Amino acid sequence: MTAAGISLRPGRATARRLAGLAAAGRLLRLELKRNPVPYVLPLLAAVFYFDTVRTAAGFPPVWTLRASVIGDHMLFEFSAFAGGLAAWAGSRERRRKTLDLAATTPRPEWARLSVTLAGTLCWLLLAFLAGVAAIYIQTALQATWGGPPLWPVFVGAAGVIAVTMIGFTCGVVFPSRFTAPLLAVGVLVLYRTGLRAALSVTPLSGRYALLSPANAPPSVDAGVYYHVAPDVPITQVMFMGGIAIALLGVLGLAAALRQPASAGRRTSLRAFLARGDGWLLRPVAVILVACGVAASWTAFALAGTARPDPVGGWEIPALHSAASDQPVPVTQDCASGSGFGVCVHPAFSFYLDGVAAALDPVAAEIAGLPGAPARAEEVASESGGKTVMSGISGSPPVFEFTAEQVGNMFGQFLGIPDTAAWRAGFQQGLLDAFLAKPSQPAKGPVPAPLGAAQQAVEDALLAAAGSQPFPARGASAGVPAAAHRFAELPASARHAWLAAHLAALRAGTIKLAQLP
Amino acid sequence: VTAAGLVKLPAAPAGTTRRIPAGIRLTWLHLRSRHVPAGILALAVCGGVLRAALHWHWAFNSGPYAQQIPMIIEAGAAAVIAVTAHSPFGETERATGRRLPYLRLFTAAGMCGLAIALLQLGAAGESLNGGVLVLSRNVIGITGIGLACSLVTGGLLAWTLPMGYLVFCQYALLEAWSSPWTWPVRPPADRGAWICAGAVFVAGLLLFTIRGPRARLSDDS
Repeated sequence: MTAAGISLRPGRATARRLAGLAAAGRLLRLELKRNPVPYVLPLLAAVFYFDTVRTAAGFPPVWTLRASVIGDHMLFEFSAFAGGLAAWAGSRERRRKTLDLAATTPRPEWARLSVTLAGTLCWLLLAFLAGVAAIYIQTALQATWGGPPLWPVFVGAAGVIAVTMIGFTCGVVFPSRFTAPLLAVGVLVLYRTGLRAALSVTPLSGRYALLSPANAPPSVDAGVYYHVAPDVPITQVMFMGGIAIALLGVLGLAAALRQPASAGRRTSLRAFLARGDGWLLRPVAVILVACGVAASWTAFALAGTARPDPVGGWEIPALHSAASDQPVPVTQDCASGSGFGVCVHPAFSFYLDGVAAALDPVAAEIAGLPGAPARAEEVASESGGKTVMSGISGSPPVFEFTAEQVGNMFGQFLGIPDTAAWRAGFQQGLLDAFLAKPSQPAKGPVPAPLGAAQQAVEDALLAAAGSQPFPARGASAGVPAAAHRFAELPASARHAWLAAHLAALRAGTIKLAQLP
Repeated sequence: VTAAGLVKLPAAPAGTTRRIPAGIRLTWLHLRSRHVPAGILALAVCGGVLRAALHWHWAFNSGPYAQQIPMIIEAGAAAVIAVTAHSPFGETERATGRRLPYLRLFTAAGMCGLAIALLQLGAAGESLNGGVLVLSRNVIGITGIGLACSLVTGGLLAWTLPMGYLVFCQYALLEAWSSPWTWPVRPPADRGAWICAGAVFVAGLLLFTIRGPRARLSDDS
């Protein structure tokens, strides 16, 4: 050995390493070229458009709400194809009967399978991220406040990876023609069972529901007044990531697991670990399985400690940050065209003109009367763990409503399917709060119904404001006639009568016949 | 030595004197080459999963969500039938005689009937939303889609289009679409939905019978 030879060694090692990387790169390029996923992408794109894009487009452009389609819809579509296609790719060597041929190559089986897996995963993740980009770009063009939430993307990507790993491993271990469709169906059943559990989740039975990425759409103003706590998404990523890591380890052991079974004799642990692909790969695979199981088990245990948080989500004490319970500082967008101020959160500023136009005529009818609100303001729909109801409070009086509920109407900020009904809903909500007895407590989520005289006055004021009143459930027969009579009065006469009799009307002592 | 001794047939070994008729043997070989016995086992698994889903209330009992899980399992059964379309012999099999289309026809139709029977057996005694009519219609229609798909993708990937249709119908279910082409969403006795599902099945079955699945000796993907 000479000094020259010694000095050349590091260079040779680097060159060998580079050659190895280049070979792996070539393998991956070939795999990307031959992978079946691109052929199914048009079909996946079609169902993505029909399901995810159309559902997201039906929601108002609020980031958290729009991002919820990633877990609720997009992952369902990807699960159907990711699991099946990964199983198809995983069973390729057996399907083509090249198992023995491929075993003669210098690469260990784990490396070969990893390249196939990486190719499948690359295509699926690329398609997934392209879908997320399509939803987020559409939202960014329409949203008036906030930014893209990243946790739903992480959860969705972890879901795609976990389903792909499950499918690929099943394809390697059970290489049958029925593996792909049965696995796709199995994953979809699991997903829908998770949704079923999520829709009826309780603190005691919520582990599976919380670990499942499927969920009901959040409230319209989720993530608007308070940050969405990342506790549950962290647990979900940990759980699904743990499954993926454990299955990667199982793939490393796949060849070893097959050999003892075929040999049909007992082998020592040392021989088992050292067999075939080299002594280092098997222990690494065992460690990966252990780490994956530990991560998933930890996530499972953490999900068991979850409890409802004060702003409508779930908190996990070990992961929870008190900072996420603090309100997001924001200046509301306001309009006061004809003196009656209306304020909404900037995330809903596209509704501001509509709300102001709806409330202005009714506010003008009751302006100056005792307890009449000087302005209307949108507030958070959840506070202190309770649902907030619309009503008039404070001094000077302010009509407070939420994006979820105004009077008897729910989901007012979810969209405007019928403009006249939407407008009348706001007006009726304001008048319900104005005419109801101040001490009249609401029973459940719906405000207490008005008395006959109160209802007639409300209908008359709505008619005067140019709206069609909703038919009140259980209202007496004389209400429409009394309302018509009262609406026929000049505005000044109505106003004067209300000024004189408002307290008695609110107390419920005015009868229908007493209305002018 | 005379010629008489040479032409005498040797005695048949014990147990082989009863010969299986050629038609039955051909049918059995056809079914085995398509992995039909394993397919029946897969259909039985689907029936078992349906029973488990209904028994342990994995799905809702009523409302738009009630059809979700049964529909997935029915689509799975249809996908299994579509996958049995694959032949390991490829194009060369087509030169072997005239009986192949009939074998294809009876295999697919028989598997479809068996799938309905096994799924109904799984749902027996449980409350299945829509009942056996919706179950049958879904299996029939989605099997037609799968068989038609096998003409393009080959038998092994014929499960992809049924899965796509399933995902599409899950959306249609929540949106309460009323088009007869989304037959899993329609009520059990809806005539338009039955016509559409039947038409798709007949078209798929006829094309599959006449043309056969796309055959390649080695798959490229």
